Amino acid sequence: MNNIVLPDETQTDSSSDDETSLVVVILDSNPGQKMLRDSPHVLTHCVDSIIAFANSHLMQKAQNKLAIMACHSKTSQFIYPGQGKHTDVRQVDGQYEVFTAVEKITKKNLAKVLTADSSTVTKESLLAGAIAMALCYISRLQRTKPPGATLNCRILVVTGSSCSASQYMNYMNVFFTAQKQNVVIDVCALDQHLSLLQQGCDITNGLYLKVPQLQGLLQYLLWVFLPEPPIREKLVLPPPLKVDYRAACFCHRQLIEIGYVCSVCLSIFCRFSPICTTCHTVFKMPALPAVKPKKKKKI
Amino acid sequence: MAEEDDPKEYRWETGYEKTWEAIKEDDEGFLQASVADMVQRAKRKRQALKQGSQKLGMMRHLFLLLDCSESMSSQDLKPTRLICTLKLLEIFLEEFFDQNPISQIGIILMQNKRAEKISELAGNYRKHIKVLSHLNRTNLLGEPSLQNGLEMALSSLKLLPSHASREILVIMGSLTTCDPGDISNTIENLKLEGVRCSVIGLAAEVHVCRQLANQTNGIYNIILDDNHYKDLLFQQVDPPPAAVCLESSLIKMGFPHQLNNEGSDEPLTMCMCHVDSTEDGSKLTSGGYYCPQCFSKYCELPVECRACGLTLVSAPHLARSYHHLFPAANYIEVNFNNQTFVCFACQKLFGELDKQVYNCPNCKKYFCIDCDIFVHETLHTCPGCATNPLTFQIALTN
Repeated sequence: MNNIVLPDETQTDSSSDDETSLVVVILDSNPGQKMLRDSPHVLTHCVDSIIAFANSHLMQKAQNKLAIMACHSKTSQFIYPGQGKHTDVRQVDGQYEVFTAVEKITKKNLAKVLTADSSTVTKESLLAGAIAMALCYISRLQRTKPPGATLNCRILVVTGSSCSASQYMNYMNVFFTAQKQNVVIDVCALDQHLSLLQQGCDITNGLYLKVPQLQGLLQYLLWVFLPEPPIREKLVLPPPLKVDYRAACFCHRQLIEIGYVCSVCLSIFCRFSPICTTCHTVFKMPALPAVKPKKKKKI
Repeated sequence: MAEEDDPKEYRWETGYEKTWEAIKEDDEGFLQASVADMVQRAKRKRQALKQGSQKLGMMRHLFLLLDCSESMSSQDLKPTRLICTLKLLEIFLEEFFDQNPISQIGIILMQNKRAEKISELAGNYRKHIKVLSHLNRTNLLGEPSLQNGLEMALSSLKLLPSHASREILVIMGSLTTCDPGDISNTIENLKLEGVRCSVIGLAAEVHVCRQLANQTNGIYNIILDDNHYKDLLFQQVDPPPAAVCLESSLIKMGFPHQLNNEGSDEPLTMCMCHVDSTEDGSKLTSGGYYCPQCFSKYCELPVECRACGLTLVSAPHLARSYHHLFPAANYIEVNFNNQTFVCFACQKLFGELDKQVYNCPNCKKYFCIDCDIFVHETLHTCPGCATNPLTFQIALTN
């Protein structure tokens, strides 16, 4: 690990000391996700791995910043740095105080979140909302940073949830905002393949990894997600999968290659229908037999 | 006269305003905070005006009519009107295509009593920016001809299918126009074709421009300075309400995906976009997007297939426009009364300085003013609603 991280330090030292990197870790703690319903104790393993990962990030550079969020079934929350003031943490066993603080605060706040609500009703975690909160947080830090300083931000989503099209628009909004704000979104899928979040990684130049073995979560986090985006080019990381950008039609939710798009609201349909189901626009009927002539018009 | 039924009155006709009293010094005697506050409030006001109307002209076809006459060499904008305009247009084009990915822009120059089309209607902003960057050194000659410019734009816009939203944006530096015929006939024709013409004037108000904008439902504005100029340009980024005569229809589109024949590498092929150019991009490549109808290869989306005319887009391109149709609900301003001690989204602690907080009508969470602006200008998703299973789809159902 050392020989990989070193070039970064020399590079940033020579360029500027004001460069800070912020990682916002979003931990999916929704008790409804399949992985946690099957074996709830997995969460402890994930939390431990994430804390170790967070500490390694802080260790890399004194200016590095960290935030950890929990995405729960009914709301999302920042669990580190939590709300309000923290009691001073004393050094334990010669460990760096900040590490102890990260561990204590994270566990304390996470326990609060978990005990407040443990309904397993929602299967799908509302990750888009958590990412939206993270983006607001990042944009505040960007606004209030001292002039001249640079803040490189990325978001790491660790989740075992599945994803469906119900959050499609929220996802797309956050991905494009992240792209605009130069925020990289990394996704570490623990249980299921997440095609929408994979698109987000592709849009924001982040990494997507479905962890083959949950036991080795920390290893994957440290090797794949710890290095900063500029260094990643130099590493041999899991090759990017080809992202499927085909659209799903609004009527049957099937992936299509050729479809019909409503000119008013841009809904996608797999075949011609006289009325748009989204905006209730009535389409001109003559177009129905004239599917072929329409093609001609365009040529 | 048209001015009489125009509700907007001129500044010099309004009552006496003590503008300096609006600005107050803070405790340390600085004006900055008070000015910044006013800017933010103005932003919020503008945001509140935007209402999610269901019918917008989403597939925009916009002609940019750029005045390149002698008057553009004036130095009231720094360094010159032309160079300032080009700089702003560059940012504008990028933002425009970011927000309207399936729209097209063409550029027409008005120079020396003639109109010249320097860039055909196309959806690739890099091409337009390249064309614009060559304009730096053009000779600014003679007078512009508004009529010739409009006629040329109209002749191209006429041919578009009926569901396309047609627009013209005129950037006018000159106070005069030298036309071959009666311009009111041209305006009448534009009106008949449903072309929306907006004008940004760099000098002073001109009657014919006011007529043009009023008759065709466009906007006419005169810039105050370069910041105001940028604001006015960026107004054009949001899609306008659909014109009455706009016909709605279903448009056939292709969603190409990269071929994935596993194991074997794709053969090196030429893409259709660069096949007849000798510039840098024209290389043999292995990846690309294939038209699902005729299998021509393209290196970039969105594009109209050159072989079969199918519009090729990717799903995120369409998704980029959805926020115009399903905007986040406007927040309600409430006086800060210790409802909450932290902004839900950015975790900012509310203090004495925050006199107002902003409340989302759907999820009832409280936000700070910065988040309010950020959510409605950039994010378009309310973080409070999106994290709650009861409200996360509310934008769709409204």
